[in-house]
Amino acid sequence: MDLNLTQEDIAFREEVRQFVATALPQDIKDKVFKHQRLENTDYIRWHHALDDHGWGAPSWPVEFGGTGWTALQKLIFEIETFKGGAPRLLPFGLSMIGPVLMKYASPEMQQRFLPRMLRIEDWWCQGYSEPGSGSDLASLKTRAEKTPEGYVVNGQKTWTTLGQYADWMFCLVRTDPDAKPQRGISMLLIDMRQPGVTVRPIKTLDGGHDVNEVWLEDVKVPYENLVGNENEGWTYAKYLLGHERTGIAGIGLCYRELQILKDLAAEVQWNGKPANQDSRLKDKISLIEADIIALEMMLLRIASDSTQGPGPQASVLKIRGSEVQQDLAKLQLEVMGLNGWPYSPSWLEAGSDVFGPGHGFAAAASANYFDMRKTTIYGGTTEVQKSIIAKQILDV
Amino acid sequence: MDFAYSQEQQMLTESLSRVVKEDWSFEKRRKRQEQAELDSAAWNTLAELGVLGLSVPAEYDGFGESAASLLAIHQELGRGLVSEPVVPSAVMGARILAGSDNEALKQDYLGKLASGETIFSLAYEEGQRNDNLADISTQVQNQDGKLVLSGQKQAVWHAGAANVFIVSALLNGELALLLVPSDTDGIVVQDFPSMDGTRCGNIVFNQVNLDATALLASGQQALDLLNQGLDDGIVALCAHAAGAMDALLGITVEYLKTRQQFGKPLAQFQVLQHRLADMYVQKEVALSMAYVAAAAVGEADQAKKRRMLSSAKVKVAMAGRLIGESAVQLHGGMGMTHELEVGDYFKRLTFIDYLLGDTTYHLKQLEALE
Repeated sequence: MDLNLTQEDIAFREEVRQFVATALPQDIKDKVFKHQRLENTDYIRWHHALDDHGWGAPSWPVEFGGTGWTALQKLIFEIETFKGGAPRLLPFGLSMIGPVLMKYASPEMQQRFLPRMLRIEDWWCQGYSEPGSGSDLASLKTRAEKTPEGYVVNGQKTWTTLGQYADWMFCLVRTDPDAKPQRGISMLLIDMRQPGVTVRPIKTLDGGHDVNEVWLEDVKVPYENLVGNENEGWTYAKYLLGHERTGIAGIGLCYRELQILKDLAAEVQWNGKPANQDSRLKDKISLIEADIIALEMMLLRIASDSTQGPGPQASVLKIRGSEVQQDLAKLQLEVMGLNGWPYSPSWLEAGSDVFGPGHGFAAAASANYFDMRKTTIYGGTTEVQKSIIAKQILDV
Repeated sequence: MDFAYSQEQQMLTESLSRVVKEDWSFEKRRKRQEQAELDSAAWNTLAELGVLGLSVPAEYDGFGESAASLLAIHQELGRGLVSEPVVPSAVMGARILAGSDNEALKQDYLGKLASGETIFSLAYEEGQRNDNLADISTQVQNQDGKLVLSGQKQAVWHAGAANVFIVSALLNGELALLLVPSDTDGIVVQDFPSMDGTRCGNIVFNQVNLDATALLASGQQALDLLNQGLDDGIVALCAHAAGAMDALLGITVEYLKTRQQFGKPLAQFQVLQHRLADMYVQKEVALSMAYVAAAAVGEADQAKKRRMLSSAKVKVAMAGRLIGESAVQLHGGMGMTHELEVGDYFKRLTFIDYLLGDTTYHLKQLEALE
């Protein structure tokens, strides 16, 4: 056991820092630090910059065009890119359907889709939740009927993040209505640019539009777009969720938001002194930082322990990461005081001229607090994660 | 002690409850919120019900009711998320003006305040956090028998809707309170929507010329009056919050009874039942603290009074956060949408933490008592 960074690790960290400092466009960085909304093209520009440097798939093995980094290198990469103001990597291809295809799909399907994920040549979205199937995902009702030409899909998906830009959806459908709920599910790759697919926005608490409803009406899907085997989709779905939950832990995001919190606390005045001189506030910031340090080591331990991809321990990471993100947003708003009051959704795009210190951050502080409530809901609620821990880890 | 509503309180509460259900329905509320201007019809409805004259003494055409009436009325307003400027005008404005010795201003304005014709707002905070109400930069100077006001106030609750500001400023190094009509030359109001949609504003006073008669109070009397206004505001706000919590809990219980997962209503899952029970317990804490705040207004021991009011504000804010956050969590993804009113309640309960001194501010007040 060696619990400290090696010289190579430190050099790698420096390399990532340098790369972000030179390759990340300033306008994207500004938006990220002000919590302003990113355009789809902003994400794509960042992915292209990474791929140009050979880092298009930081979490993938070399054989699929990835970097082949160790768990520690991946972690260093995530933390340093976030701290430097980079957007999150779009998870839908690289860390959701990508790993599923590597493990379960035919070589033809891998060849067809995986290489295009590095430069977001296809924008992917997730077709999991339905209006009647949230926590009880296995009750999903979207049907795929077999015809001589292929599957015909009918149903409705919801909470489809950034689905408004999507070219492809990885979609859970019911192919055997008579089997037990988990046994009759298959995973299909659905071309979103075809008749019968309708995407409608869902407006969220912060007034923004990230999530969508997707209607699928007589949508045709060729048999070659079936992932793995028919009726085994639940296995793939769970494998994907393990990756999603590990990603939601958001260690890089936590470090970035901690930095924003500290910057705000240094700038905002409390009783004529910088807020960070208030001992109660210092305590609160210290406790959150301690949470993040614990989360980081937890991620490394669990990653080093699971060569087969994340198991039920991903639930531990998801619970802790989501709670820390919520605490950070709450404390940022608290530090802002009166400057955190003003809010209009349009300011997330255009910024605001309504007063306040915090590099224009003021206009987004409350929106971010409201929006972060989603982290204990999406990717499986905290309640669902606790049931997984009780049943699958503690065996009760 | 007597916890029963008087006959008048009972009647007013009942009619208010009916009107709020009808006129502050989800659709009507949302529509109003999209406009920057105050809906005068809604405002007149509140005036006609007597809500705006509640704290105005009877000799000035009000009802001269005590803080206990605020408790009854503002719970109903909170249940319906009534966001019109009742607290800044009819509670804080009325209290400060009624408590001043400036008889001419009282004659001129109290009746109009009670009828809703004139809307008051209290401009006392200045940007960065400060725990001392008298440690401000806004200045008023006596020049040839005239008062000249200069400075900036920030995040003034309903500044845009107000016709009259009560402004705190330093006069010869001492705190003073002034009554300033909003259309006086030299005033610029920057109106903005705040985190729950309530309109607030930043105000610049640039060499604003006022008659010497604009002075409401100065020195210790000004500080006492300002505190009395804020204290009454805290009573109303705590009651408002308790009413909103009660309504939100009811909405959440109904949702969990209806929403099915794993073949049964969510309400049948024990872990969710316990969360609802936690919300109920905190709602009871908040309601009790609203009573504490109302009782504090009549408390003679100043230290005890401050402890009661600041304790109430802190606990109500914490209960509001827990109930708001839990309601969103229990609604799942639906709780995150703009489609349901859950979010409206959550945002209001969050904003209440920041109005009239946030938790950090009130903990400092309590610290100072020791």
